[in-house]
Amino acid sequence: MTDSYAVDVEGVSKSFGAFKALNGVNLRVRQGEIYGLLGPNGAGKTTLIRLICGLLAAHAGTVTVLGQRMPNVAVLRHIGYMTQQAALYPALSVEENVSFFAAINGADEGVKDALELVELYDRRGSVVATLSGGLRQRCSLACALVHRPELLLLDEPTVGIDPQLRVQFWESFRRMAANGTTIIVSSHVMDEADRCQRLGLIQYGRLLAEGSPADIRAQGGSQNLEEAFLALAGRKES
Amino acid sequence: MSGHRVRAITRRLLQGFRRDRRTLALLFVAPIVILGLLGYLMRGSTSSPSVGIANEDSGPLGVMVADTLRHSSHITTTDISAADGDEKLKNGSLVAYIVLPSDFSRQAQNGNVAPEVHLEGSQPGVDAPVLQALQQAMITLASQVAGRNVNFQPQIKYLYGGKSYDTLDYFGAAFVGLVVFFLVFVITIVSFLNERSQGTLERLMASPLRRGEIVLGYMLGFTVIALVQAAEVLIFSLAVLKIQNQGSVLLIFGMEALMAIAAVNLGIFLSMFARSEFQAVQFIPLVVVPQVLLSGIIFPVSTEPKALQYLSDVLPLTYAVNGMRDIMVKGADLTWSSLQLDAGVVAGFCIVLIAAGTATLRRRLG
Repeated sequence: MTDSYAVDVEGVSKSFGAFKALNGVNLRVRQGEIYGLLGPNGAGKTTLIRLICGLLAAHAGTVTVLGQRMPNVAVLRHIGYMTQQAALYPALSVEENVSFFAAINGADEGVKDALELVELYDRRGSVVATLSGGLRQRCSLACALVHRPELLLLDEPTVGIDPQLRVQFWESFRRMAANGTTIIVSSHVMDEADRCQRLGLIQYGRLLAEGSPADIRAQGGSQNLEEAFLALAGRKES
Repeated sequence: MSGHRVRAITRRLLQGFRRDRRTLALLFVAPIVILGLLGYLMRGSTSSPSVGIANEDSGPLGVMVADTLRHSSHITTTDISAADGDEKLKNGSLVAYIVLPSDFSRQAQNGNVAPEVHLEGSQPGVDAPVLQALQQAMITLASQVAGRNVNFQPQIKYLYGGKSYDTLDYFGAAFVGLVVFFLVFVITIVSFLNERSQGTLERLMASPLRRGEIVLGYMLGFTVIALVQAAEVLIFSLAVLKIQNQGSVLLIFGMEALMAIAAVNLGIFLSMFARSEFQAVQFIPLVVVPQVLLSGIIFPVSTEPKALQYLSDVLPLTYAVNGMRDIMVKGADLTWSSLQLDAGVVAGFCIVLIAAGTATLRRRLG
């Protein structure tokens, strides 16, 4: 039944030395779903995302993406990954950066669309080193989706972005999801969590709770998502 | 001026060092390694230049001179026949040979001796001890021929180089390749490190790019820059500095290209072991200085202490330097077996480093 899920993570554990970053995590994300990974800093969100795109190998458990066991180079062509830090070449212009990532993913034609999506088309000639943090973040997003991936992994994509643009970002995410793109987005900002179809709460390397924002509210016993989250986190810890 | 604030800066600096054990180690290990090597090289070099003696003299004085030369502390001698001399210079077993002509004794009686001195000529430092030893033998000779003043006029012939061949010609041939090697190495190690620290390498790893494609792409990109630089260095050396060149310019360029490719891959490989640009810079003295000392650029490998000769023999730069000199000083072409060996070793080193760079790229991102 794995092929009905875009991402299927089963019993995955990963340690760095003595530190257990992930401890028996199960996670299933359907195609076209926007799935939010919530959790405090150091909870294991980035590690989980890296496992999904095959940058790390799990010590236990399996990761299946688009029907293929990871790590698998062939699948990477269909994955877009936006790292936490805006990973760009500072000496290149916006367009040169996006074109580069298009080229290594074998999709040279999507550059203009990607630049328009993040509203950087007019600034395509600007050298990245001269851009503000928010503009870099937009450029970084364009690099992640320029090849129209089937699965988009976004590690805290809206850090440093102003509220208007954040709204636009989420509108684009929804449009892409409606067209069949699966999106996994990590965040520790609760108002973003509300925009996801389903949420997973991660803490101490474990998936504490899962469900729609409404489910989480019900499980945590609070109308406020943040309070619900804190209640759930505190309950498991004690 | 606040002492408190100055102290804060000083303390911050030292605190950083305390965490960066590797930098600290290099800071204290590198000078000992470099100075120790230099000391061992200079004090430990015992071997004196090998000189062949062809005594064709029919009289008694030739034997006497040959015997004096044999006991000279400046040179190590072997008896050869004059016909074999040039061959032995070419294959490197001798750096010079002296021919005492058949009428040598008669010349001495007449007060005018002209022994032939054949010098290999590509190593400027070894000519002096050969001539010095001969000079001393002549003084001994003069004391044997009683009552006569013996005039000493050696006939010096060079296999390579010649009288106008100077130190710059000798060092220049090696440095043409070296300059390219080290500058390209530094640029690669720093820019590959940037790729890591700015996070783009992680992105590359999450793309369908194969690791070999990354290494190869890097290699080609830097090789383009290196070749432009190599061409510039070569033109400057030949046209402005007027360094002697006996060989094909294209062949020099080819050797430079090989060295550049080796440098790029060495840079990629070593960048895996540096966590910051700071640490990468530390690799430079540790990688560069011993190679410069041991590759025969300054001290010919044959005069190094035996233990260091083994080390020199496994350094690729030794072969690169030797190849450059063979081409520029001796006019070697690809039919020379020594040049085939040199080019082959440098090319083999490139392949090993490409494989090593690709392998390390994998390990680091586990």
